[in-house]
Amino acid sequence: MSNIGWKDVLTDDMPIDLAHEIDIFEGQMELMGQGKLDEKVFAETRLRRGVYGQRYDNGQRHDGFESRELEFDEADRIKGPDTLWHAPGMQRIKVPGGGLSPEQLDVLAQVADEYSDGILHITTRQDIQLHFVHIEDTPDMMRRLAAVGITTREACGNSVRNVTCCHLSGVCRTEVFDATPYSDAFAQFLLGHDDVQDFGRKFKPAFSGCESEACGLVMMHDIGYLAQIKEVDGKPKRGFKVFVGGGLGTVPHQAKVLSEFTSEEEMLPLVQAVARVFARLGEKRNRNRARIKFLVAKLGIDEFRRLVEEERETLPHDDRWTAYLDTLPQYEEKPAKPPTFLNGQVRSTAFNQWFETNVYSQRQEGYSVVTVNLPLGDLTSKQTWELADVARKYVGDNVRATVEQNIVLRWVSDSDLPGLYEELKAIGLGDSGAGTIVDITACPGTDTCKLGIASSRGLAGELRTRLTAKSASLPDAIKDLKIKISGCFNSCGQHHVSDIGFFGNSRRSGNFKMPHFQVVLGGRWRDNAGSYGLAVGAVPSKTVPEVVDIITNRYIDERAKGETFQDWIGRIGKKEARGMIQPFMKLPAFEQEPDYFSDWGDPRVFSLGDIGIGECAGEVVSLFSMEISPAESEAFEAQIALDENDPARADALAYSSMLKAARALVRTQFLDVGDSPDRIVQEFKGRFFDTELFFDQYAKGKFGQYLLDRHQNPNPNPDNDSAHRLIEEALLFIEATHACESKVGGNVLVEI
Amino acid sequence: MITPHRLSVKFYFEELSVDAEAFIPVFHRWIREDVVPNELLLDVADYKHILDGPAILLVGHEADYVIDFTDGKPGLLYVRKQDLGADLSNALDTTLFQALKGVKLTESDVELQGKLKLRTDGATFVLLDRLNYPNAGSNGDSADPAASAEAHLSDSLAALFGSDATVTRVDNDAREPLTFELLAPSAPDVDTLLSQLGKVN
Ligand code: HEM
Ligand code: SF4
Repeated sequence: MSNIGWKDVLTDDMPIDLAHEIDIFEGQMELMGQGKLDEKVFAETRLRRGVYGQRYDNGQRHDGFESRELEFDEADRIKGPDTLWHAPGMQRIKVPGGGLSPEQLDVLAQVADEYSDGILHITTRQDIQLHFVHIEDTPDMMRRLAAVGITTREACGNSVRNVTCCHLSGVCRTEVFDATPYSDAFAQFLLGHDDVQDFGRKFKPAFSGCESEACGLVMMHDIGYLAQIKEVDGKPKRGFKVFVGGGLGTVPHQAKVLSEFTSEEEMLPLVQAVARVFARLGEKRNRNRARIKFLVAKLGIDEFRRLVEEERETLPHDDRWTAYLDTLPQYEEKPAKPPTFLNGQVRSTAFNQWFETNVYSQRQEGYSVVTVNLPLGDLTSKQTWELADVARKYVGDNVRATVEQNIVLRWVSDSDLPGLYEELKAIGLGDSGAGTIVDITACPGTDTCKLGIASSRGLAGELRTRLTAKSASLPDAIKDLKIKISGCFNSCGQHHVSDIGFFGNSRRSGNFKMPHFQVVLGGRWRDNAGSYGLAVGAVPSKTVPEVVDIITNRYIDERAKGETFQDWIGRIGKKEARGMIQPFMKLPAFEQEPDYFSDWGDPRVFSLGDIGIGECAGEVVSLFSMEISPAESEAFEAQIALDENDPARADALAYSSMLKAARALVRTQFLDVGDSPDRIVQEFKGRFFDTELFFDQYAKGKFGQYLLDRHQNPNPNPDNDSAHRLIEEALLFIEATHACESKVGGNVLVEI
Repeated sequence: MITPHRLSVKFYFEELSVDAEAFIPVFHRWIREDVVPNELLLDVADYKHILDGPAILLVGHEADYVIDFTDGKPGLLYVRKQDLGADLSNALDTTLFQALKGVKLTESDVELQGKLKLRTDGATFVLLDRLNYPNAGSNGDSADPAASAEAHLSDSLAALFGSDATVTRVDNDAREPLTFELLAPSAPDVDTLLSQLGKVN
């Protein structure tokens, strides 16, 4: 029997800080198991590691007749409010800009078959999700991912989510410049940054190279960056037009211009100032109004801008603001092959069809981007490592996930296209129609989402099958229309920005509920998600394929020459558009059409009984609670190190846990304390020790003294006894920190 | 030998005259009627849009039942995920026992009866545990986990499927999990296998 775990095997492969963060998370899991951590704090902690809830994790499931209890072991053990420990969950894996290497694909495929159901799912924000994951497998999964440079940190929760970037950046024919290295620098700068730990809600950034294409969908993001070049003192200068306060959801907002031009030197300090304003003034209590879009709307963009500029002036300088600029000249993508031309090769009809829709000719002559059209954004583990090999052979590291739930291979040398197509076809990934009406986007919906009302994936699969069957005969005018589907009004499937969008809801007919989709027409994908569609009415889920036919046929018949779908919808207006679907709004009784009362791919009689409490809004917990929890986990780790007879490590961890606790306390008054132990101890002493705020009624300054002593006089050769003592002291110190915080009130004041 | 993180076995269809989709209502009914003692069945996942892969999954807490088309070979795949027992032997017994019960349930299901048949003259076993059972090239060392697992599976499966049964390691890609192919010309029927395993269990 071996006791060696992934932690031991991968020690040398993981970046140290990532490895340590994962150990801390594992410690927090252990503490939660022992009931020593608050359930909300743990829920937000795991969310910030991408460990998300999944449908039925409250232990209830409707079987079509009645709601039944799922009898998991240890039924009173939880991983968050109303969320059972043993219920499977979803793991979101952050992929900045969607960039993936073959090596990363290999490992993703492996963790998918060992910890999930062997399916990798690409999300609408270039992330990867695995479903049906047991929480106890997550630390090892994270370690294996960390070993290939992937973190799941801040993939969910009230944090800076994945930074998306147009998948064509760098090879696009219309971009101003390649936004990729900027979005990478942005993602690295904000990951785990002190100023992004106290948001009331999630914060989603996007980067884009040009205005008119869809690219990064800048207009629907909390913060968006459009590449710009401006003449400054006669020289071209790189920077961005910056947008803020966009977002989909129930109430979609178009982003407002925060700055017409922010230079590359100012990009990071500006977002840091935005983060501080959002953390300080953003709504914390009412979860429905906590996104930055509401703050911008409340203050008005001019006042918001003024506050950000004011904040910017007072930010303490950080070298990292401009350090990334030195690395920009080295940034380049290396094609695996020299450029060639597609000329004279035999082409099959199937290849030609695929070429028409799935191949984009790069700005760089002789190269193309190939889109691997994934049905519903899914691929199997086996397909993933087969795809990794195809990538190795043709493009090397130049692979990206897209917001349309596909994967692109960039820098394909043109004469390789026919061979590449055959290889993709052989692994079941050769579907044509990328970016067309058959390439439908869908959120997880009722398959796995706790908030899902109707089956977005079931409907997407059905429409894909039907439209693919007749794709050869579809008129050109509708081939390029986009269909996007969300399972509820939260719009994770981005239905607002498609030509024909749907979101799930429900209507009653007699004593039964019937799954429905609200029809949303005329949203604009191009122009960075330039405008949102018009909701015209809800139809039964089972009628949607017919509804799509009616709408598209009418468009073909009536459109003026060159008239786009959006223009046509604008011209006919809401009333007329509603008229088209009116015949479907008359609901049959159960006895007439029982099939209407169940959803696509799910024969259970439809109910809303499975809807749980979503975790998208995270948990509102104070900054202090979030920051003290890793301190507790480290103290716990220290105990384990001692059990393993490693007093030096135990001593270091116990000390580090005290520092973390002190830092959490100091940050309730002074956010900019930084990471240096000297500074933390000095601030702690000045603010809490010397003022006696930290003093216990009986023990007086004793607990605080533990930290001061250990800081001043580190033990060069800790043995088991001394380490044991220090752990005891650390535990008392952490307790005293809690007591002090509740006494003082944990008021976050920014002090400059 | 150490219990693998997960262990799966796939039995192949001899006949299958229904679409994968037909399993969706069947699996939902299994959940409702709680047809598998000692296993908590949770939900049905539909991946029929994927070519040659897992198509329909009955997801459970201890195990998943998968109508699987990987490599174009339809079969019923049973993936044991929890409670595998104290060692590889236990894991193998539990997995096989439950998988064969799954075969029986499928063949005798009221909606599927007569429309499919699974074969017992072979099966594929996968040790989903790259930590303890890496799929590395064999170095001929008897301590090599792959070689020991092969020996172990050979013995156990020959005892069950007949002395002419053979187990061979599948020469698959090193990134894939360690995989073994059972050939069992005697093809004992499911009831016989179950009663023998019942004695062990
Ligand atoms: C009130 C709760 C929620 C709201 C308001 C919400 C809203 C959104 C919006 C507007 C997007 C897409 C647009 C974008 O920002 O690019 C999105 C992305 C997404 N949402 Fe949600 N969502 C919620 C809960 C959930 C839940 C419970 C799930 C199910 C697990 C889910 C799954 C997803 C996925 C898979 C994406 C693509 C994401 C990514 O990689 O970040 N959402 N969400
Ligand atoms: S749109 Fe609704 S159903 Fe779809 S993932 Fe978001 S919250 Fe879930």
